[in-house]
Amino acid sequence: MSALAPSGASTGRGRRRRLWLALLLFGMALVLLFSPLVGSVDIDPLRVLAIVLSGGGVLFNPCAGAGPTCSLDVIAVWQGRVPEVLLAVLAGAALGISGGALQGIFRNPLADPYLLGISTGGTLGASLVFVLNVGEAQADLVLPLLAFLGSILTGAAILAVARGRYGSVETLLLTGVALNAFLSSILTVVLLYNPVGSIQVTFWLLGGLGGATWPRDGIAFGGILVAGTLIAIYGREINLLQLGNDVAQSAGVDARRVRNRVLLLASLATAVAVAFTGVIGFVGLAAPHAVRRVAGPDYRVVLPGAAVVGAAFLVAARDLSYLAFPGTVLPIGIFTSLAGAPFFFYLLYRRRQSTTMGGP
Amino acid sequence: MSRSPPAPAVRLDAVSVRYGSRVALRDVSLQVGRGEFVALAGPNGSGKTTLLRVLLGFLVPESGRAELLGDDLAGLPIRERARRVAWVPQDESPRDDVPILDYVLYGRYAHLGRLETEGARDRELARDALESVGLADRAGDGLLSISGGERQRAVLARALAQEAPILLLDEPTTHLDIGHQLDLLERVGALSRDRGVTVIAALHDLNLAARFAQRIVVLSRGRLHADGPSGAVLSEELLARVWGVAADLRRDPRTGAPYLLPHRNLPGPDAPTAPSGAGPVHVVGGGGAASPALRLLADRGFDLTAGALHLLDTDSETAEALGVPVAIEVPFAPLGSEVRERNRRLLATARAIVVAPFAVGPSNVANLEDLLPFAGRVPIVVLVRATDGRWDFTGGTATAVLDELRRRPGVVECALPELADRLRALLAPSPLGASATAVSR
Amino acid sequence: MSLTNEPSPLAPTPRGVSTAVFAVALLVVAGIAVAGTAVYYAARTSSPPGSIAVTDDLGRTVSVPFDPARVVVLSPSIMDSMYRLGLRSHVVGVDCYAAAFGGLSADYSPDQISLWNLSASMCVQIAPSLDSEALLNDSPQLVLASTIVSVAEVEEITTAYGIPVVMLQPPTLSGIEIDVSLLGTIFGVSSAAAQLNAQLAMGLASAEALATNLTDNGTAFPTVLVTYSTDENGYWTFGPGTFGESLVELASATSISANSTLPYPELSGETVLLAEPEYVVYGTGFGLNLTSYDAAPFWSDLNATQHGRAIGLDSNYLTEPDPTMILVGLPSLIAVLHPDPAP
Repeated sequence: MSALAPSGASTGRGRRRRLWLALLLFGMALVLLFSPLVGSVDIDPLRVLAIVLSGGGVLFNPCAGAGPTCSLDVIAVWQGRVPEVLLAVLAGAALGISGGALQGIFRNPLADPYLLGISTGGTLGASLVFVLNVGEAQADLVLPLLAFLGSILTGAAILAVARGRYGSVETLLLTGVALNAFLSSILTVVLLYNPVGSIQVTFWLLGGLGGATWPRDGIAFGGILVAGTLIAIYGREINLLQLGNDVAQSAGVDARRVRNRVLLLASLATAVAVAFTGVIGFVGLAAPHAVRRVAGPDYRVVLPGAAVVGAAFLVAARDLSYLAFPGTVLPIGIFTSLAGAPFFFYLLYRRRQSTTMGGP
Repeated sequence: MSRSPPAPAVRLDAVSVRYGSRVALRDVSLQVGRGEFVALAGPNGSGKTTLLRVLLGFLVPESGRAELLGDDLAGLPIRERARRVAWVPQDESPRDDVPILDYVLYGRYAHLGRLETEGARDRELARDALESVGLADRAGDGLLSISGGERQRAVLARALAQEAPILLLDEPTTHLDIGHQLDLLERVGALSRDRGVTVIAALHDLNLAARFAQRIVVLSRGRLHADGPSGAVLSEELLARVWGVAADLRRDPRTGAPYLLPHRNLPGPDAPTAPSGAGPVHVVGGGGAASPALRLLADRGFDLTAGALHLLDTDSETAEALGVPVAIEVPFAPLGSEVRERNRRLLATARAIVVAPFAVGPSNVANLEDLLPFAGRVPIVVLVRATDGRWDFTGGTATAVLDELRRRPGVVECALPELADRLRALLAPSPLGASATAVSR
Repeated sequence: MSLTNEPSPLAPTPRGVSTAVFAVALLVVAGIAVAGTAVYYAARTSSPPGSIAVTDDLGRTVSVPFDPARVVVLSPSIMDSMYRLGLRSHVVGVDCYAAAFGGLSADYSPDQISLWNLSASMCVQIAPSLDSEALLNDSPQLVLASTIVSVAEVEEITTAYGIPVVMLQPPTLSGIEIDVSLLGTIFGVSSAAAQLNAQLAMGLASAEALATNLTDNGTAFPTVLVTYSTDENGYWTFGPGTFGESLVELASATSISANSTLPYPELSGETVLLAEPEYVVYGTGFGLNLTSYDAAPFWSDLNATQHGRAIGLDSNYLTEPDPTMILVGLPSLIAVLHPDPAP
């Protein structure tokens, strides 16, 4: 972790940050191990662990000496739960790091990955699948593809503006708002005349981890790993951008180019997440805040930290949705919002308590 | 390697910059040698900030050429620019409580590779920079936990960490109290002297500029108006012409640098002419005695001058507040020859003189003495004293002069309430002379 | 307040008088309004000559013309009853979704369209909102609707155009018989209605007989998943209190969603996989076929699928509460779930 390591490592602060990061990673590993224990049906925890640790029967046979239902358990856990947990990790990480990157680029703590209308583009793409009544078999393939295309085309439009003559931050935000409004209205018209599709889109908008399979996870992993790592490398530049575009430029940062690159990467990561999970809210907004609160404003820590926190958060939301409502499939977006809102009140409360000294 | 002399740190050749339709810099040519400390001065909107932004590469000149250390600015990549020139902006208001050492290390960006992390040398340079701004012991504190003055020093440290041979400062003292202003500029001056850093600082305080910079460049409406050593460049005439301000030029007794005392804004070309006609009324006083008369006459629309007064005197403050040109002396000193000369000049241009009932001592008895030649030339109104009490602290000299004055023709007495009407009556027959504005010479 | 300002206790103050007058006036106005409404509704519900008063499934008392020649039917299930009672010629309009999104075929299967001889010209659009113009074009004397049309919309038809609307929405399977009888009353075909009801009773009886048979033989009821739609999250099925669930019970089987808390729950793939239902019955028609379900979670891993016990059934049989459900749907379901019936 060369470029990702914060300076001042020898100071108490640096050590504390590293400690938190290590703690987060450790917690992450634990969560990954134990989350498959939670699902819509009760399966013997020991068996679940055996299945997970055996890699679905690859390393050893978890069904040795067990009854005939064991093979079904293996399918349920290894083909169902584990990919689902992994998808939660990947999507949570993508949303966390994208949210953090956008908050840094726009110097606005309220930015989230969907700020520039990417989610609306993705929803429009997805709605076409529902409305055109694409058969289920094709929908498996077509839905993520169209959702991804919808998102990325919206992102591309924003980027085109960003690279142009009038690509200031204000213009970008306005363009995002305008695109959002435009796409939303098209979406509304489409759904008005297709009420059945409307229900499906509502579910999609709330986000879900359904349909997680190993191949899909593989694709998501590739895209998110590449985009996420590249974003993290820009941590130092984003730090400097916090001082203002001019100051950053005077210190050697090509502010415009960095901003556009990070926007592109964040759009990519978000689009991949959205393609497979729909629009899950709050993760991208809350995860960077949590890291900043604990580890300080250094984006070389905030970015990877937000990825980890986002992943953990989404997995926790998944687990909670099963524990709270056994037997029913509820969209995960409900839980992230439920968790997110009180979390924000808590952050506000803490901020008001610790007033910062020294005015601007 | 060529044998020609090393290129100047900064060179601008006929640079013009335009913001839309407005021309911000017009054909500016400038050369700054290595290690110089140059102050950039000029009224708001004169182009100081624009010039700095051109040197930083933020603005591309419409015409002309800008060079840093011999290389065309336009051709320099951003990183290379950062290695050559560093910037201390006027108002960098950071939002995050970054540890100061980390913040200073941000300045090392231009020297680090994409995936490189800060090394020992970088940290050493950062600490060195903090040392030179006197914040070495605050390295671990947060940026928001220090005072504004200290924060500006931290900004300077960050700029220093860039190891750039050229340092640009844009009105760095704006938000600082006077102590911190001096401190910052002293440190910058030391950097220029001891490390050969080329400094170009936009300063709105001319006196600070004169004190710390060896050379002042004055911009006016986008053009280069003056460029030279501060002693040569700063003058009352410069201030009047470029800033439209009437001022007195002095020499700072401690530093030897020129020192300007601004009085008031000069009326612009379309300022309304004085209602009462030609020539001001000169008021003589001191110790607060002239203030009622000054206020009364200013209210009635009279053009006024006053003198000779001491700085910090109530009357000089009243005059200042009313925008009245005054012949002024430093506090408590006897009226020097310069001031008396100036007073006499004011008297000469006055069409009437009002003598307020001031207390006279050895330090200002000259005020009465200098009136004698004017008796008979212009009306002199001596204000009646309201209270009986000792006013002559010159052992009788003042009383004698005043009595002599009263005997002269054209000298009358008057009570304050009737002063304005009396003056109008005295001046009613067509006044001599025609000039409408009073100007200090 | 000083004593002098206090009003005398005997005479009311001027302000007191005006308040009283105002209150009385208000009461009078209210009384007139109430009376007027009552008279208005009484006048409307009193039956003009040649009409009868009936109570529909929502408990509304409606005055309908006897044996109307022109009827608009806004529901496939009602259409089914009408056809079986020989009343097809009375139907001049049927419900459709907007033409852009399926029109007639969104509600009626191709079989139904050809059997009942429906055409697009009979369309009365019901979504996104009821097209009253199309409705009026058919000059109907009566409208029969299920609750796929909102009650408010139909009330408007009655108040605005004076066309009576009868709501038919049977709450349970037994409600189907009630509806058939009601139609018999309105159209004067009570004997045909009685015959149809007898057939329905027979169908239910034979199902009951099977159940008794199996119980006597000690044969366990098979477990089944009846699903009408899937998505990447799981299988949509019928919970307690629904027709689909009642059908499964009548077919002497146990639905794996019998204990669900919701009427139309979605069961996750995991739940279905580990519940190991012996049979899977999936709804077909309206764009759904086997391939639609192929992509459902763990479909190919299901025990039932692997042993050829995943069978498709027309969705209509499972969802539309009409005679066809009992006369065709129920036997089909029984045939699927009990391939080797005990003799």
